[in-house]
Amino acid sequence: MTDFLDQVETCVPALRRYARALTRNIDLADDLVQDCLERAISRRALFRPTGPVRAWLFTILLNLYRNSLRSSHRRGQTVDIDTIPEPSTPATQPGHIALAEMARAIETLPLDQKEALLLIALEGLSYSEAATILGIPQGTLMSRLGRARAALRVATGNSAEPHLRTVK
Amino acid sequence: MSAVTRDMLMAYVDGQLDAADRPAVEAHLAANPEVAAEVLLWQRQSNALRALFAPAGSEPVPARLRAHRIAAATGSRRMRSWRWAAAAVVLVGLGLGGGWFARPLLNGAPAASASLIADAVNAHTVFVAENRHAVEVPATDQDHLVTWLSNRLSTPLDTPDLSAEGFTLVGGRLLPGEPNAGGRAAQLMYENAAKDRVTVYVTAALPDRAPAYQFANAGGAEAFYWANARITCTVVGTLPEAQMKTVSQAVYRQMTEGDVTAGPPYRG
Repeated sequence: MTDFLDQVETCVPALRRYARALTRNIDLADDLVQDCLERAISRRALFRPTGPVRAWLFTILLNLYRNSLRSSHRRGQTVDIDTIPEPSTPATQPGHIALAEMARAIETLPLDQKEALLLIALEGLSYSEAATILGIPQGTLMSRLGRARAALRVATGNSAEPHLRTVK
Repeated sequence: MSAVTRDMLMAYVDGQLDAADRPAVEAHLAANPEVAAEVLLWQRQSNALRALFAPAGSEPVPARLRAHRIAAATGSRRMRSWRWAAAAVVLVGLGLGGGWFARPLLNGAPAASASLIADAVNAHTVFVAENRHAVEVPATDQDHLVTWLSNRLSTPLDTPDLSAEGFTLVGGRLLPGEPNAGGRAAQLMYENAAKDRVTVYVTAALPDRAPAYQFANAGGAEAFYWANARITCTVVGTLPEAQMKTVSQAVYRQMTEGDVTAGPPYRG
């Protein structure tokens, strides 16, 4: 029990980071993490101790986030004004990505691509763990990552570069 | 040498490429500048994402997100719902047969008596430790004490005489109480020559007005509780058990004189 809670506790910073990147709102993100922890702790009996706690927590967090999006689509979304980046001038250097630009670009991604890319690029999870969290085959994960990276490239104004040939 | 795929290039960027494939990927990048530019862009995307959001993972974790704290909170919530379930069991038990309340507290299920006893023991612990402020109205003003507390509890209340047991009245006070027992409670304090103190915690009757008796040991104090159609009463002290029983019986005898099955007389 204490072991379980200690394991959960070590995951909290990563959960907060991931939730912040998903929601772009400090309070919403921490609410999401709190809901996730409450659910995980009250349902710990359902947790198979053989699997990693971290993957289980991320799965719960994502399910809660998707549910909250579904209900907030009816209410209209709220965005913390502080998290909206200042408009920036387009990148002058080819290949350069302004952070503000990236912050806006990540918002334009479809949710399934955003979830996948953040698990890999931000959280540094292995492909197999991310696929487990998302409940998809690894091939599907890879194609989401590919589409997310291509979309970000366009959204950050780097589409002028020659497009990568599809290589088999 | 296998063909370099998009997945291998991503694995290269994500640091998840098999070591065996690394030379092939690096050779491919060296030979294809446009592919190398794309891969560099992916790396910059990842760097930008980390620069944007990684700091959120290094912030101090707020208390509400501490797993141990959440576990403690959900534990007590579970306990509360367990108590409701237990209360339902008690009601069923009452329906099936009387005598349930005669069961000892620690063995039986939580009931209204449990919270009354807990309140009584808490009040005892707080006020027996006081010297100058042990009571609100001293025994020297006994008539006022009796009238006041009787009015506040909307039930006639007399102060038992425990001189035969070696105790004299110190005084009494009014306390907030359980909502289902009138919301107020009176505490009477007695003291013997050895400065041992005993308190008597009285409330108006519970809604069910059912007779009940319990002995309980809570927080190092002995408590004797009973309820009838007029009042609930809990005698609390830290005396040896035999002495507690003698005192409790004296209080019980004096406070149940008359017809206790009837409700309180009408008070204008």
